Amino acid sequence: MSTGPEQEPSHRVDAEQLEFGGGLEVLLAAALERVAPGGVLEIRTPSRAVALELPGWARIAGHDLIGEAAEQGAQLLRIRRGTKARILAPPLPERGPRPVLRDGELHTADWRRGEEPADPDPSAGFAPLHSVPEAGAPTHHWQLSRRDAVWADDVGELAEQASAQQWDASRDVPWEAARELDDITEKAVAQVMTFLAQNEYAALYVPARFLGQINPQLVELVLWLGSHVHDEARHIEVFTKRSLIGGQHGYALASTELSLHTLLDEHDFTASSLLLNVLGEGTFLDLLRFIELHAPDAATATAARLAHRDERRHVHFGISNIKRAIFLDPDLTLTLVAAAEARAAKLVSLSGLSPLLVESLTVMAAPSLQPAELAEAAADIRHLMATMEGNRIRRLRACGFTATAAQHLSDLHTPNLM
Amino acid sequence: MSGAELRLGAVSYHPRVVTIWERFRTYFADAGVPTDYVLFSNYERLVDAVLEGTVDIGWNTNTAYVVLDHRAGGGTRILGMRDVDRDWGTVLVMRKGESLDSPTELAGRVLALGSRDSGHAAILPLHYLAEEGLDAAEQCRLLRFDTDLGKHGDTGDSELHVVRAVAAGEADAGALSDVYFSAFRAEGVPEVADLEVVWRSPTYYHCNFTALDSLDDEVCRRWSDAVLAMDFDDPSLRPAMELESVRRWYPGDRDGYASLTAAMQEQSMLT
Repeated sequence: MSTGPEQEPSHRVDAEQLEFGGGLEVLLAAALERVAPGGVLEIRTPSRAVALELPGWARIAGHDLIGEAAEQGAQLLRIRRGTKARILAPPLPERGPRPVLRDGELHTADWRRGEEPADPDPSAGFAPLHSVPEAGAPTHHWQLSRRDAVWADDVGELAEQASAQQWDASRDVPWEAARELDDITEKAVAQVMTFLAQNEYAALYVPARFLGQINPQLVELVLWLGSHVHDEARHIEVFTKRSLIGGQHGYALASTELSLHTLLDEHDFTASSLLLNVLGEGTFLDLLRFIELHAPDAATATAARLAHRDERRHVHFGISNIKRAIFLDPDLTLTLVAAAEARAAKLVSLSGLSPLLVESLTVMAAPSLQPAELAEAAADIRHLMATMEGNRIRRLRACGFTATAAQHLSDLHTPNLM
Repeated sequence: MSGAELRLGAVSYHPRVVTIWERFRTYFADAGVPTDYVLFSNYERLVDAVLEGTVDIGWNTNTAYVVLDHRAGGGTRILGMRDVDRDWGTVLVMRKGESLDSPTELAGRVLALGSRDSGHAAILPLHYLAEEGLDAAEQCRLLRFDTDLGKHGDTGDSELHVVRAVAAGEADAGALSDVYFSAFRAEGVPEVADLEVVWRSPTYYHCNFTALDSLDDEVCRRWSDAVLAMDFDDPSLRPAMELESVRRWYPGDRDGYASLTAAMQEQSMLT
């Protein structure tokens, strides 16, 4: 073997009994990682078969065999590391600080080193957080790429909560409890559940459409929207199951469909956040609480309670998102009010909550056709409507709208509730 | 097409050849040496086309190059070759544990070979084994896999047959290129796990870009410079270069073709 200075190995590795196809490639790749491009690695192997196969392996891996020798029952082979990087990217950074744990838990809000990017490359790919993307990958064009167009300060924590509070619509609801209702009450419950499920479809489709437009570098938002979509899928599931379990049927109302159709017409992220999360799901919070309190059976109450827990997060995101957006651009309130006005203009044919739904809610809450009980339930419904309006205005104020604007927006809100 | 555009012939041994040459075509245009490509189904037709002037440059296997150079009376020039083409080797593989000390021990046994027009999997194995003292054509029973004739072993199909035949016990040993054997192993071809390399040949050259001496010197120089300047670190070029199994192009020379020329003469393949 030549012993010129250019042939001298900077590193040596003993392959011992390792063979190609049995882990040797891994050892060689790791050893070559430590050798500078153009540097020499000496490999020692007792196997003649390995020594004979090594030149072919080295050549397709981009390295050159520069010498072979036998020594005390072993083969020594020297390969010069190729100068071309395997991955077309800068070297990986040095091992850095590790995320902090909270009582042993790794929270999504704690995984970034520094702030999320304000203006990530709109053509960036699916490079996970703090990874180094290789050049030459196909480019994307994310329509929602600027952080300030979509962000909420606590989005990481909200995604964290969404993961922690998952539930199972097949097993976490006492379905047996829903089997014993009389025909009239069950029919009313089926109508209310059908109404809820119908609305939850729109609550799923709206974030689902935005999800595919988000720059993946804003990963917390991707996780958040993914959880929102998943939550709504479960809501569709649980309310559909509750409507089916009693054997009765409900109407999917055209007025509800019209209202939801206009929700899908909105293509601006922040305006959708206002119309769906704050106004629609916010109003549904009060409706779900009412159903939980007045449900004639434990299955209905449980379904409403579990959905309510999710909707609280969605409303929280909406308020947080809009509050941040208005803080950054106070004039945005005008744009948002205009979006609500535009939607309301399409809903002039709706004069109030569907009478069929009001009747169903009343019977469900009574739960009978006894005049005294109906009167009490009707009073509860009137009280619910007042509560909804009061809470809507309170949430809008929390977003940063003036009292006047909040009242105006609440008045514009769809009679369909979502 | 401009009048100055060169025509390069290549053999379509796989659909990826189109991907490679579509990218290289734009590269050559950007490099100031516009070059269109023409695909042939076999190297014999490509060699004819170079000799007839239908194409200016052939992207030849070593076998095609030797035939072309022979038919041109030595009037060819090499404009470039890949890094992997410079130290090509042929290996003999056997089932693990059946190793041999000398290829002469294969006398009386079954030797699997790739396509008969493959330099690395048929022609050179016979030549180099003869140098080791084994006249395989006479002393062994040859199990030939003449698949994809005309492609000169480019597809690797016949070598896959060789590997499978040895693993299945239909042959005692098999000859194939070291690069294909390593590639089969990397791809996880299951039969490779049961095999090991028992012998390797001296190295020789493989493919090259060949032109006739009649092609203008300045054109050759500029074209060759453009090939050599192709950069594997250019993200827009790397995928095509990886498909062509090249990290870096070299000028190339005739030195590494002597053994194949001798082998083809011995085997009466140059008439």
